[in-house]
Amino acid sequence: MPRISEMTDVDFNGIENPYVPPKILKIASKLKLHQTWDKEVDPVTYEVIRHNLWQINEEHGATIQRLSGSPVAMYALDLNPSILTEDAEFVYFGPYMQYMSGVTDTQVKWTLEYRSENPGINEGDMFIANDPWVGAAHQQDVMLLCPVFWEGELFCWITNCLHQYDIGGITPGSFCPSAESVYEEGLMLPPLKIIENYEVRKDIEAVYLRSSRKPDLVALDFRAQIAGNTTARDRILELIKRYGAATLKGVMKRIIDNSEKSYLDKMSRLPDGEWSDRTYIEACRPGDRRTHRVMLGLRKEGNKLIFNNDGSAPQEGAMNATYSGWRGSVMVAVNELLCWDQYFACGGALRHIEFDPTPGTLNCADFPSSVSTAPIQAMEISLYPAYNVISKMIYPDPIMRKDIMCIGGTSQWPATLFRGIDQWGEKYGYLLIDPIGGAIGAFTMADGINTGGQARTPICQLPNVEHTEQNFPILFLYRKELSDSGGAGKYRGGLSAESCFIPHNTEFVTQDTLSSGNAIPTSPGLMGGYPSTTNAYTFVKDSNIFDCMALSQMPNDTDELLGNSVTLQLREQNFTQDPKDVYAVRWSGGGGFGDPFDRAPEDIEDDLESLAITEKSAETLYGAILGKDGHVDIERTREHRAKIRKSRVTEIKKSSRTGQLLSENSHSINIMRDDAGTYWACAKCDFELGDISENYKEHCVTENQSIAVSNPLIGDEARFIDNAVEFRQFYCCQCGCLLDNEIAIAEDPLLHDSRHQLS
Amino acid sequence: MSSYICGLDIGGTFTDCVLINEHGDLTIAKSPSTPSDFAVGVLNAIERAAVKIGLSTADLLDSINVLAHGTTVGTNTIIQRRGAKVGLITTKGHNDVIHIMRGSRGLAGQDIKLIVHIPESSKPKPLIPKRLIRGVSERVDCFGKIVVELNELEVETAIRELQDAGCEALAVCCLWSFLEPKHEQRIKAIAHEIAPEMYVTCSTDLAPKWGEYERTTAVALNAYIGPITVGYITRLDKQLKQMGYKPPLQITHCAGGTITVPKAQEAPLLTLDSGPVSGVTGSVFLGGLMGYPNVITTDLGGTSFDVGVIHNGSPVVSYKSTVNQYEYFLPKVDVQTLGTGGGSKVWIDQTTNSLRVGPNSAGADPGPVCYGKGGTTPTTTDADLVLGYLDPNNFAAGTIKLDHQAATKALQKIADELEMTLFELASGVATIAEFQMADLIRKVTVQKGLDPREFVVFAFGGAGPVHMGVAARELGVDKVIVPQGDTAAVWCAFGAASADILHVGEQAKIIASPFDLTEINKILNGLSLKGSQQLQSDGIEQAKHQFQYSLDMRHRGQINEVEVFIDSGILDEEVLGALREKFVARYEQLYGRGSAMHDARLEIVTARCRSSALSLKPKLKEFSLTLEPLSADAKTGTREIYWAEKKSVETTPIFNGYLFKPGNSAEGPCVVETETTSIVVHPRQEISMDTFRNFVINPNT
Repeated sequence: MPRISEMTDVDFNGIENPYVPPKILKIASKLKLHQTWDKEVDPVTYEVIRHNLWQINEEHGATIQRLSGSPVAMYALDLNPSILTEDAEFVYFGPYMQYMSGVTDTQVKWTLEYRSENPGINEGDMFIANDPWVGAAHQQDVMLLCPVFWEGELFCWITNCLHQYDIGGITPGSFCPSAESVYEEGLMLPPLKIIENYEVRKDIEAVYLRSSRKPDLVALDFRAQIAGNTTARDRILELIKRYGAATLKGVMKRIIDNSEKSYLDKMSRLPDGEWSDRTYIEACRPGDRRTHRVMLGLRKEGNKLIFNNDGSAPQEGAMNATYSGWRGSVMVAVNELLCWDQYFACGGALRHIEFDPTPGTLNCADFPSSVSTAPIQAMEISLYPAYNVISKMIYPDPIMRKDIMCIGGTSQWPATLFRGIDQWGEKYGYLLIDPIGGAIGAFTMADGINTGGQARTPICQLPNVEHTEQNFPILFLYRKELSDSGGAGKYRGGLSAESCFIPHNTEFVTQDTLSSGNAIPTSPGLMGGYPSTTNAYTFVKDSNIFDCMALSQMPNDTDELLGNSVTLQLREQNFTQDPKDVYAVRWSGGGGFGDPFDRAPEDIEDDLESLAITEKSAETLYGAILGKDGHVDIERTREHRAKIRKSRVTEIKKSSRTGQLLSENSHSINIMRDDAGTYWACAKCDFELGDISENYKEHCVTENQSIAVSNPLIGDEARFIDNAVEFRQFYCCQCGCLLDNEIAIAEDPLLHDSRHQLS
Repeated sequence: MSSYICGLDIGGTFTDCVLINEHGDLTIAKSPSTPSDFAVGVLNAIERAAVKIGLSTADLLDSINVLAHGTTVGTNTIIQRRGAKVGLITTKGHNDVIHIMRGSRGLAGQDIKLIVHIPESSKPKPLIPKRLIRGVSERVDCFGKIVVELNELEVETAIRELQDAGCEALAVCCLWSFLEPKHEQRIKAIAHEIAPEMYVTCSTDLAPKWGEYERTTAVALNAYIGPITVGYITRLDKQLKQMGYKPPLQITHCAGGTITVPKAQEAPLLTLDSGPVSGVTGSVFLGGLMGYPNVITTDLGGTSFDVGVIHNGSPVVSYKSTVNQYEYFLPKVDVQTLGTGGGSKVWIDQTTNSLRVGPNSAGADPGPVCYGKGGTTPTTTDADLVLGYLDPNNFAAGTIKLDHQAATKALQKIADELEMTLFELASGVATIAEFQMADLIRKVTVQKGLDPREFVVFAFGGAGPVHMGVAARELGVDKVIVPQGDTAAVWCAFGAASADILHVGEQAKIIASPFDLTEINKILNGLSLKGSQQLQSDGIEQAKHQFQYSLDMRHRGQINEVEVFIDSGILDEEVLGALREKFVARYEQLYGRGSAMHDARLEIVTARCRSSALSLKPKLKEFSLTLEPLSADAKTGTREIYWAEKKSVETTPIFNGYLFKPGNSAEGPCVVETETTSIVVHPRQEISMDTFRNFVINPNT
């Protein structure tokens, strides 16, 4: 299948095909753009206005939260405000849901191209939009775009995006796990002028609210979005009046130029090359037991970064994302790893980044495939390879290396969609928000953060158990962090958690599951680090929980209960949880970094003390030997680790090449050069691992293990998928040290994850 | 012999003592704080005050009617992490609540950089390690019904294990305990039996609020600072009694009032951050006297900028606070802090070649370059000195001689890099700092539905009067008041002296509309009864008891809550009918017009009763305004000062603040100096002295 760049005869206009903004936008001549600005702004004015613009965007976000007051806006922070120039370059993008950065500028550009002639873009207008082919992540993410005019010219754009409870579709909440196309999903609006000359168009608002099961809440959120835009617009106009339009625009352009400068500086410090990563989605519809491959490729050519999804599986069922959703996923990693020092002002970087996916694939789906689950499936799964490929790209630079993050928790969202009659006698439907507690993956110099949230939303908060129990008829038996849930490594991934509940004060609860990453871990770890736990549903029918309650002997875990353990599939529909049925959901944790055998004994002791790992894992994964007092026996541990490493080496070879270090490619592998050329080498012993043109993995001792070996909380994949899953480990043929791991279904070839053009 | 009201405040460097006699005469004494035993510094300060008025310490203590004391012992215990070893008993299955921290990185109150740069952030060191947390079988549900009885055997085992592990304090927090406290209370009783030496604290005694994370944190913090704070208060109380002070010692708390010693021993957490809060309390009092119901209080010191807001004569409060990244429930006067102060570092963002000020601070040590204590990075104070705002020979009452040359050199280097002149750079630094302050003030007013233009600004702290004129101008505020010359420097102690006895009783219970009158009245009645008992045990006669009631309400299913005040503790149908209107009005004031859903069901989340007894108030002397012009002696000389408004250096008059009389005024540009501060009056601004001898800057004439 061809990539977008190869499809020269197709109109990517956001109707049948995704909207891909052209380099030069076609804007109606009647729309005048404000395009004169001061090239020189003194540093003090610059800093004062820069700070003001950041504050305006902050106040915009705060306004939405205050007015909306919905759990989505307040806990999950599934929103984002931004400021863009007249031609839709990002000036500031808020620190909330990062996916939305990839879907914001595209929608503004589309509006400029397709709405500037008819109905026209005028002062006092705002456009509502949620069409995933134009640029929304999925239908629930409703964007409100506000052009800001000064003296008859379009000066800039203020936008916000806010996830809505329900905008229709076959499943309450509008995540539709069994949909086969968008026709079964929520309302879709290509950018539509809902506010005209400062007045809400009541007819259009009515259309917008009509499909929702919760029109009151959608209406309130719409008020919040209007107020957010209005606040920001007014403050922008105040700034213009005070400093002049040319100065303000000069600052906006310089913010972007500065972010570009910072980006270019980073690129200049990095070698060119190609990186790729691979992961999988499990089950695209109820009954599906296949895996669907998700690929991400990154090529760096000088200052340019080009992302592709070559080799990703075709679109199917209800697991897909559109072009803009996929672009949004990649942008999360770009923002957090490359643009954090510019506070996510990614406009400058975007001048040099190209997105070139293949249409018809699960993460660049064509109309009208189902995309309502995108942010918790196809986008989520596309995001984490993006962290990995960028992390591999920036590793050679010792400063940028500190910005690397392994994949964090809830790398696929194990959804609990439940509904019924609540303890107050009213109908309810809800997506359990607990997995937002996620975990942060390991860093290159430190452990990840236990239940530190989902990295893609840098600010988020779980509701308290008491909040959830007040609003829904359930009783939590526990919500706890899990020992061993973080990926093992020199630096350990953050722990994730598990929530467990029974129905309470209701006759029963009706549930759907919607998950992936239950068979194959989706938080795999980096550069020798191990994966975290998989997602997991536990369901014990007819348990003895009532006896436990009557005897005041409550369980700490589902495995202390008696009853019939049922394996829930990943797209189970309409199953019933009766009051004696215990349900638990565990989400994936953070991946580990580096070889676990390199973990310092005192860190392992801390892990044991803080219940981050079990004694068994200390021995099996970390190669630690514990003394009788429970402390790590440092001497015996060293000997034990050395012995295991030695046992991996089947034939002792002497390194034939003694070149000079050219680049530290990863934590475990260097690039070296001698007279004969450039080659891979073990970072510990310098042993040659093949010519730079080859895949170093082919020159390692390879051990294919069951995936369950990689983390004690990962069970048998055969419960959910038909493919066998391998944990492939690559050791140095000379010193036996672990160089890297790879998780793949058995039929997939070795991943060639790094290619370099070093001169 | 006179009788006195005495206010005491322990600061980082000095312990301040303020005496006010029945005529309103003020006596101020300072003594170095003594961190090894703060009580020593407190007694020293009292002794110095006694000397100043010619009394023996015993005689002074004998003639003090009210002694109100603010303590930082609790705050310091947390900062220095030297609190008690705490064990926690909670509902089984929910042991990890304070580790999960609601699935966040503990970002509340943190710099934006930690939000955007995840590798730099982390959760705080656990308040209580997992191994000292015990879950016990018990359960209450959302109706307050016990669905699992307490397993007392498990409780006993847990307490013994924690005792063996060396715990000095025990925190107890069970799910839904605020609706049914029986299990928590039983655990406390068992703990008293088994481990009478342990300091035990229950969440329902401290914060009976909805939300187990913030409730557990509150009780864990209370236990953590409990033994040390209680030890200190008990010791001080005993010493004062021995020395002749008879009335009950009053301890200031963070809700803006005082409590007696037994209450402070039960809930030492209430003393956290009470220092800055006392500054706001003092401002409420002074604002009241001066006829300003709306005041923004600002305190700009070396390392931080604190802002509080007084609206309609009452301080703006919050019910959730943050310490050390942990969020906890406690009613508290809202004081927001920015890490911008005189010590904020000036630096260049190298990749973008732009000028930045803060948030990193040089602190007090090494401090700004001009302190000559080894600091090499220029700060806001260095810029102030270069601009001419500060007199190098008269800074902090002449205790620090400022090195003008060193400050110039450090700033010049940055100016050169940015291709600016020295003065452009220095005034740019001041402007950036001033705008940051204006932003914070904007945040705490506008984002709470308040318009800063309806407020006056009180400027405390040594650096406040240097910068507040410009910040106020940015906000459209038309008066900046530099309170009471000297008293401004001991404002927190003055605040302690002017505080009332106050107990804030809270009870969470989620009640949806249509409301059941009996249920609400039962809760309010319970709160007022508790408040009344508390006041009685404080020794306050019933006639002086005052009660104020409020309800935290929200739209059902939404998160934002607003506090709605009700006139009486007994609601009738009529009041109930008006409740919705009151809610809508308040909601829209806070969150904007059109934000309330008029037909939606409402929920009451928390009922609250403030029980108070007005204490003796200090009186302040009011002077009549003179018609005479400012005496010629007041002008002590001139200084070369750079004014950004004129983009030039001008020979500017310097005035001695002590020679101003009420009614005197001077036009900007000028600088008015006192021992503790420089008041910078910009061009087109004016300064005058009011009838209370406060300086008043009019930021935009």
